[in-house]
Amino acid sequence: MPAPDTLKSTPLYGQFPTALAFSVREQSRNRLAALLLVLFVPLWYLLMTSIAGDKDLEFKLYSTGQMLSVDGKHVTLITAGLNSLTMISGFVVFDAVRKALAFDKRLAFAGFRQSTLIGAKMLAIGIVAGSIALYTALALLIYWRPGFTGWATILGGFVTMTLTYGSLGLLLGVLVKNDLEGFFLIIMGGLTDTFLQNPLGNPAANKPVLQYFPSFGPMQFSVGGSLGDTVLWRYLGLGLIWAASFAVVGLIVFHFRTRSRRPTA
Amino acid sequence: MTTEREPALVARDIHKAFGKHQVLRGADLTVEPGQLVAVVGENGSGKSTLLKAVAGTLAVDRGEVRLGGELGYCPQDPVLNFNLTVDQHLQYFAAAHKLSSLERADELVELLGYEKYRETAAGDLSGGTRQKLNLTLALLHDPDVLLLDEPYQGFDWETYLRFWDLVDQLHERDKAVVVITHLVFEQERFDVLADLAEGRLTPRKAAKEHSHAGA
Repeated sequence: MPAPDTLKSTPLYGQFPTALAFSVREQSRNRLAALLLVLFVPLWYLLMTSIAGDKDLEFKLYSTGQMLSVDGKHVTLITAGLNSLTMISGFVVFDAVRKALAFDKRLAFAGFRQSTLIGAKMLAIGIVAGSIALYTALALLIYWRPGFTGWATILGGFVTMTLTYGSLGLLLGVLVKNDLEGFFLIIMGGLTDTFLQNPLGNPAANKPVLQYFPSFGPMQFSVGGSLGDTVLWRYLGLGLIWAASFAVVGLIVFHFRTRSRRPTA
Repeated sequence: MTTEREPALVARDIHKAFGKHQVLRGADLTVEPGQLVAVVGENGSGKSTLLKAVAGTLAVDRGEVRLGGELGYCPQDPVLNFNLTVDQHLQYFAAAHKLSSLERADELVELLGYEKYRETAAGDLSGGTRQKLNLTLALLHDPDVLLLDEPYQGFDWETYLRFWDLVDQLHERDKAVVVITHLVFEQERFDVLADLAEGRLTPRKAAKEHSHAGA
């Protein structure tokens, strides 16, 4: 017994555009994250470069096996950028997804196609992550002008990193019960991951084990392009695989947590 | 009406345990179109669990639910998105239900008296207004079967009376309505009172002419 025809002839609002607009809105309404992005990122760059000093560092490019001798400040700027991105994008997406989970479930029950909701959510994460990465890459120019190709690869690495941690935020958002657990995992994960890639802070950097961390691909891609004159697409792909894996697992969990459990005959 | 009609809602043999605590032990509930049913019972007797099971938000251990039409479910705690305004909620659910107009939404917002908050984010609304929005979302698509879990919490007296006007309208329009309540004084409003005790429901005809229908 459907509702009267007048209510149902042509939908007033399309599901996809509605879900996309509101998903972007809920992810970008996080004022603390916006403040962190605007103020923390430039300050973090400043702080990290002043700690790094002007020392030269050896950085291993895995595609060629080549050891690059690079300005420690530059590598540090890249890791500082990656590091702040892990926290900000992870936090933004985790917070938005976790808070909206019960609401999304209600929407799905009301007839919202789950795949539409999931697609819109993912695209919203892409838009928000892309904007965060762009800002972070632009703020880096205050301290260092690596040339266009160099900067573009840094941006590429940054976008991949935000997508990875945005997707991790999504995964934790649908899995974790309370805020603190999620924030803790994102901050610890992001810190450990990016810190280990920098030979300045970590004598064990350049060791093969680093390949198994999510920031390995973006870091290699960014350093290769900006300091080694090689664009290592494969490593960008590696980073994107991390992002896609987190996203797929997160979306599967989302699908299960928002489906109907009504026992029908 | 002489034709035999399908019940609006049939729930059979619903079992649900939380760990060792067996909450529902074979609860049965049948609601005809146009029937107004109260589910009554002590705190913790499983009233909300039963409604969640019927609505499908909670998996049951055993049992079966059949619906004769579209369902509207109003959960006890408002399920809203604090970042979105009242109007955005209405649009989101209009998209979910593929509605072609917000006419019904406008009516409900007006009836429950919270038009002036349409541009306000749900996070900034008072508890009572959140509950009004929560109820509006359940009714937006004019469902045939309504499950309302203490839907008037936080309502002032005026809104509470308007809520009952709304239920009366639905009743007249042949909608099946199930309400969880523990207010004895309002039990005379219902066609059937279903007592939930020890995980089972026992329906009794509400004695509408009696002033009090307490056990």
